[in-house]
Amino acid sequence: MITERERAMEVDREDGRTQNQLRPLACSRNILHRAHGSASWSQGDTEVFAAVYGRKAGTRKNENPEKAWIEVIWKPKTGQIGKLEKEYEMILKGTLQSICILTVNPNSTTSIIIQVVNDDGAVLPSAINAACVALVDAGIPMKHLAVAICCCAPKSGYVILDPTKLEEQKIKAFAYLVFPNSVHSVLPEGSLMDDYFYCLERGCAESVKLSDFLRSLKQHPTDSSKAG
Amino acid sequence: MEQKQSNSPASFIDSTVVPGDVVLDLSSMTNQTVKLGGGLRQDCDAISAMKAGTLRFSKPNKYWVESSQKRYVPCVEDTVLGIVVDSKADNFLIDVKGPAVGFLPVLAFEGGTRRNIPKFEVGTLLYLRVVKANFGMNPELSCTDAGGKAAEFGPLKDGYMFETSTGLSRKLLSSPTCPVLEALGKKLSFEIAVGLNGRVWVNAASPDTIVVVANAIMNSESLSGAQQIIMVEHLLKSIQ
Repeated sequence: MITERERAMEVDREDGRTQNQLRPLACSRNILHRAHGSASWSQGDTEVFAAVYGRKAGTRKNENPEKAWIEVIWKPKTGQIGKLEKEYEMILKGTLQSICILTVNPNSTTSIIIQVVNDDGAVLPSAINAACVALVDAGIPMKHLAVAICCCAPKSGYVILDPTKLEEQKIKAFAYLVFPNSVHSVLPEGSLMDDYFYCLERGCAESVKLSDFLRSLKQHPTDSSKAG
Repeated sequence: MEQKQSNSPASFIDSTVVPGDVVLDLSSMTNQTVKLGGGLRQDCDAISAMKAGTLRFSKPNKYWVESSQKRYVPCVEDTVLGIVVDSKADNFLIDVKGPAVGFLPVLAFEGGTRRNIPKFEVGTLLYLRVVKANFGMNPELSCTDAGGKAAEFGPLKDGYMFETSTGLSRKLLSSPTCPVLEALGKKLSFEIAVGLNGRVWVNAASPDTIVVVANAIMNSESLSGAQQIIMVEHLLKSIQ
């Protein structure tokens, strides 16, 4: 199985990338004047803005007052807010709740607003990365950083990382993986079972690169950083 | 992947850390008291960072993460600039750029009694001291120092207030004097009040001076000491 995959690695993707190559990353912090924390994250042509309004007093009714509450609002580039946006909001909320330390500021609400500027595939992982950087910018206490990556399995059976919109439309299944602790957001559609662990392996390796990139961001406070 | 590096703590001091970095391994340090400041938390035997910033160490055993944000987390004995939002029977409600509104008891002034309660309008700027700050509760403020004297706390009249990040406020209050304030003080005369919650108030005889001082301070955030002095000289030349 492994040797088949290794042979299939010399596959042609439309933009000339190899199977495991990510698109160029670019990120800026502290871009919005009024938001308490903000970031923009782009992978290739996909670009997402995240704004964090931190810790206002009070949670919604019937919510646990001993923990902080995270509210996510997803704004698509065009069109009205529908079921897909609500689904993204729920997934993001679950992911961010697992990385933020909720007991430090009980009975408070943190709002995160995601604005999709351009959608060229892998928009949910970009949003997770942007939200993570925005939370760090706002100083919300977190257990660790989150690094998200999209893997997909086109019909030929191998796995590619970070698909563009065209590639996404052709594939049969894709998974969004968020590291570092364990996989949090997984959206399998179609049968991804065999390739699942291979996905995890490749995703892990790439997330190390993304982590290093996030770390280098801290050394340049308000400039934008670029990584190839 | 989580970067678990339990190296000796000396390798992390004064370098940037991100949330999740394990900066201290307690299992290798027995019989030592370690004091943790802001931005660090204890996870069984490992001390890890909660915020991104620079790890600082002060002898003999204090560790903390220095970071700069737009919002303020109230701490006891901080001096802050607050704006009156509302007044109740027992307290004034003061906004200090934190997660909750602060309470200023009506009697927390020098020689304050029920008969001479000060009347502050909504929007008055006050220089205050944080008395109590627990998470989950509104911070309590005071217009006196620990001994009950006024000590320049209270309302600030005239002048101009602008907002900065908490990191810049700390730099302005550090000793020895911050280079930008020193350079400005050599040529201009002005009065300044810095709140650790990211608010700065400037007053001077003429509005031009106020504007120059405010712009110089706002520009100095990402500059080093020498660059700050050059920037101030440049600004002063352009107005003369």
